[in-house]
Amino acid sequence: MGKTFREEELVTQLKAKNKVALNYLYDHYSAALNGVVSRILKKDDLAEEVLQDVFLKIWNRIDSYDPAKGRLFTWMLNLARNQAIDKTRSKEISIGKKTDDIHNLVGNAYKQNSSEMFVDSIGLAEVLDKLPDDQKFVVDYLYFKGYTQSELAEDYNIPLGTVKTRLRMAMITLRSIMNVN
Amino acid sequence: MNIKEYISTGILEAYVLDEVSSAERAQIEEDLAANPELRVELELIEGTLEVLMQTASVTPRARLKENILSLAEEGSKQGRIISMTVSPAWRWAAAASIVIALVASYLAFDYRDKWISSTVALNNLIDSNQQIALNYNQVNQRLDKLQNDFSIIENNAFSKIVLKGTENNPGALASVYWNSTSEEVFLSIQHLKKLSEDSQFQLWALVDGKPINMGVIDANSAGLLKMNLINSPDAFAITIEPRGGKASPTLETMQVIGMVNKG
Repeated sequence: MGKTFREEELVTQLKAKNKVALNYLYDHYSAALNGVVSRILKKDDLAEEVLQDVFLKIWNRIDSYDPAKGRLFTWMLNLARNQAIDKTRSKEISIGKKTDDIHNLVGNAYKQNSSEMFVDSIGLAEVLDKLPDDQKFVVDYLYFKGYTQSELAEDYNIPLGTVKTRLRMAMITLRSIMNVN
Repeated sequence: MNIKEYISTGILEAYVLDEVSSAERAQIEEDLAANPELRVELELIEGTLEVLMQTASVTPRARLKENILSLAEEGSKQGRIISMTVSPAWRWAAAASIVIALVASYLAFDYRDKWISSTVALNNLIDSNQQIALNYNQVNQRLDKLQNDFSIIENNAFSKIVLKGTENNPGALASVYWNSTSEEVFLSIQHLKKLSEDSQFQLWALVDGKPINMGVIDANSAGLLKMNLINSPDAFAITIEPRGGKASPTLETMQVIGMVNKG
């Protein structure tokens, strides 16, 4: 499968139900989407289940993707993140979430979870560590711990506007750390 | 619109996170279409995010790809993925019905099991009940006979004649109860020797020196045995005869004899 797709072409091929395009999509994005899903869910089997659902959603709902509104990856990432967050609210892992809340109360959650980071996420830890703590916190909680902006504001007593501007600042910092142009 | 201020609120990041209201979304999409500068910023945010997520990659297990590809294949054939279109409420309903079905199956199985063992137990009870009834009847009949026998022994109308062993069998002993009025005769064997299958005992009454057949008895007979009627016998005797008895006694085989005491 030496073929490479430009995003437009990929979308066109996915809409045409081309299995080669799905194959390509999986090869190029499954690990990135799994990075989010598996960190939010913390359990490999749940993450796998959700990731499977996510890819099938992408495949079945590609027609509802509108390139005018954003990139394909953003669309997929949101499907994955939303699906994983939904899963954390299902009964299956509600106990795990409660335990986390207790950790949060004693203020250890951040350190504990950092020490449990996945082997192949050393890159992520390195990148996040370059962020100021408040920026690192919002990126980590919003993208890798399954919090929404309003949940984060409520749970940590941060005004919603502050959560938003911190994420904004984090994106700018990350942009320069990772040389995104 | 001050673009820099607009951007600095983090509204585009919230949009990228898919955490804006539908009214906000409509407004942002309008703004994006109208301002290339916003569009550039949006693409930078999205690009940054994609790079960050690629950095955060965790490769899933290999078999997941096969699952997804084969499910996608099925999905295209059917035109849709059923599981994707099911609402959470229906999922719960489906899960609940599966649970109910499993529980019901288990209960059905369990009850069937209990029903079978109850049936077996009931049959056993019926059998043993029948056995008890049978035993009861036997005991009852035995009791009736004993009562009957006892009333004969006790009855003064019957005279008891003890038949003692002859030289053939000195240890032998039997008794005859005879009612001179009704002429009934009952025999009670206390001790007689064992006989082969083809022989029987035969009771005789001697009347005026002549033997009269009173009937044959098996060696293992118990209780009072009703024999033939007889009028004024002088003696009773038992001989061993071929099965079915004979018209006249084989005197050499006489086992016991007793005289009627005509007081």
